[in-house]
Amino acid sequence: MSEPVIRMENIIKTYYLGKPNELEILHGINLSVHEGEFVSIVGESGSGKSTLMNIIGVLDRQTSGNYYLEGQDVGGMSDEVRSAIRNRRIGFVFQNFNLLPRANALKNVMIPLMYGKERTRDQKERAMEMLAMVGMEERATHRPNELSGGQKQRVAIARAMINDPAIILADEPTGALDSKTGHMVMDLFHKLHEEQGKTIVLITHSHELASETQRIVTLLDGEIVADNGGERACS
Amino acid sequence: MFIENIKEAITSIFSNKMRSLLTMLGIIIGISSVIIITTIGGSIQSTLTATMNSLGGNTVQVYVDARYPENEEDWDTWVYPEMTEDDYVTQEMIDGLIAAYPDEITGIAAQTYMGTGQIQDEADADNYANVNIAGVTPEYLAYMKLEMYAGRNLTDADNKGQKKVCLIADTMASRYFGDKDPIGETVSVTGADGSIYDFVVVGIYVYNQALFGQVDTSIPEKDRMTELLIPLQTCFKLQNSDQTGYDYFNLLLTPLADVEQATADTLAYFEKQYANNENFQVSVYNMASSMGMINTVLNVITVAVSGIAAISLVVGGVGVMNIMLVSITERTREIGVRMALGAKRSTIRMQFVIEAIMLCLIGGIIGILIGVGIGALLGSIAGFVIQNMYAEYSSYIIMSVHPSATAIMLSLFFSMLTGVFFGYYPANKASKMEVIDALRYE
Repeated sequence: MSEPVIRMENIIKTYYLGKPNELEILHGINLSVHEGEFVSIVGESGSGKSTLMNIIGVLDRQTSGNYYLEGQDVGGMSDEVRSAIRNRRIGFVFQNFNLLPRANALKNVMIPLMYGKERTRDQKERAMEMLAMVGMEERATHRPNELSGGQKQRVAIARAMINDPAIILADEPTGALDSKTGHMVMDLFHKLHEEQGKTIVLITHSHELASETQRIVTLLDGEIVADNGGERACS
Repeated sequence: MFIENIKEAITSIFSNKMRSLLTMLGIIIGISSVIIITTIGGSIQSTLTATMNSLGGNTVQVYVDARYPENEEDWDTWVYPEMTEDDYVTQEMIDGLIAAYPDEITGIAAQTYMGTGQIQDEADADNYANVNIAGVTPEYLAYMKLEMYAGRNLTDADNKGQKKVCLIADTMASRYFGDKDPIGETVSVTGADGSIYDFVVVGIYVYNQALFGQVDTSIPEKDRMTELLIPLQTCFKLQNSDQTGYDYFNLLLTPLADVEQATADTLAYFEKQYANNENFQVSVYNMASSMGMINTVLNVITVAVSGIAAISLVVGGVGVMNIMLVSITERTREIGVRMALGAKRSTIRMQFVIEAIMLCLIGGIIGILIGVGIGALLGSIAGFVIQNMYAEYSSYIIMSVHPSATAIMLSLFFSMLTGVFFGYYPANKASKMEVIDALRYE
């Protein structure tokens, strides 16, 4: 069996709030996500799903345990290397879009390219392709404040896709959208999953949204209490 | 990446125009004040140098001077010694000097004024010319940068033979002789003491009012003095003086000679010559030294203004630091997003340092433009005032108003340096942010 994209072994995350007060958020998470899976991580607020997402996204370090991204132990890597991993292997989609307000849609999509190593002439064409994929090529020169919420999220998805990452990590991507545009964004994820075989990890508190995905991992108080696809993935 | 950083910095600066402008104000004031002062100072310097050089100001003067007492108490009993024939600089000494430094010195220009006189046309009582009789060496014309109009210059033979020949000014020639060719004519000059001297006119020089100075515009042009130039030795003879040597003369230098070096060499030469003279010595002086004093004053002013500019750059820099800290706090989320998308800490630091540099650099450029504008304006006004104050010399004043390239380069450099120095701390602070905290910042 091939190496999973995400392999977490006994991940523990503890926050130190002054010496005696240790707050353990994640109590030994074991999770594997294989290539091409569309996984949703569901949990109430306070369940530790944001903390887990930060660790999966190489934004934060686990206190103990091992996290392998595409077989690489990212926990022990330097800040520099982790930046490069985020840049090339992870595509973030945030709840509040996190587009840069002063840059237009095209520039926003090109930001990850700016922080990458390679410099190619067709960067602009590539960014336009991404915008076309999410149906936003007409709005390439618009700034975020000239776009609707759904349009912003589509630009953000184009930005997440530009470096052809190993996983798309979407943190409540429909949280700031009405249900109709939310569905449009979800459809886009399905499209990426089905047509391009992208590995997508969706973090949400909505069971309705989670039910659209193949596999639902339920988190409660820092532990995985249900995982309907774990067996299937391992079998 | 670098170019993208610069573009982003400019976007960021221009997206907050008023704030950026106020932040730059200290730097603008500092830089523009330095540029104004250096422009004016540089213009004064180059105008003086150019004007003086064009008027033969770049020369070395040599004169015989008494040996003054070294001790203060001796001053009370000391009297200026009588000059004897032995105390003058002889022609042999000068020939020796030229032989010793042929690369520097080509000759000497000496002159002595004999007094004023009047040339009266016997046929026409109304036709007369006032002259100032000056005994000169043949090099005098070259030294004064005077040009011959017609005829020939005085020669060594005229001088050594004490010939009674003269050069007259072209203005005087046309006024006095009219259409007649003055060359070969004899002029009778009645001196102030009533004695009459006859000279044969051998040449006409082009009169240069500014060089002789003292133009009294209240006198009708007809009565104005011009210089009648006769050989120096002829002059000595007519004055019934035993003098054949020189007590004062100017060195005529080769075009490439270094004035300071020639001054030092000449001084050394005459120190040897006058080593055994108890009463007299030779002093050597050049205009460059007095120019040097003006330059020193201007340099002191420049340094003082640079000090003020440095203070205002520091104040401006603190302003830049302050606004960068504000900007970084405002843009914490942006920093978080950039880090999440793969920006390294060093990249974030670089971005904000470049933004601070750009802020200072734009301020510096605005300061330079303002400084060059005001400096050139003030320089031109000063030039205009001078030319009107000394209207008769105005055609000899070579105005040279230009900003100092060195000052501009230094200003750009120091404004960039201010950006680096005061931008580093905020930029470093930005780079130290934790990505998850920055992303969650509201």
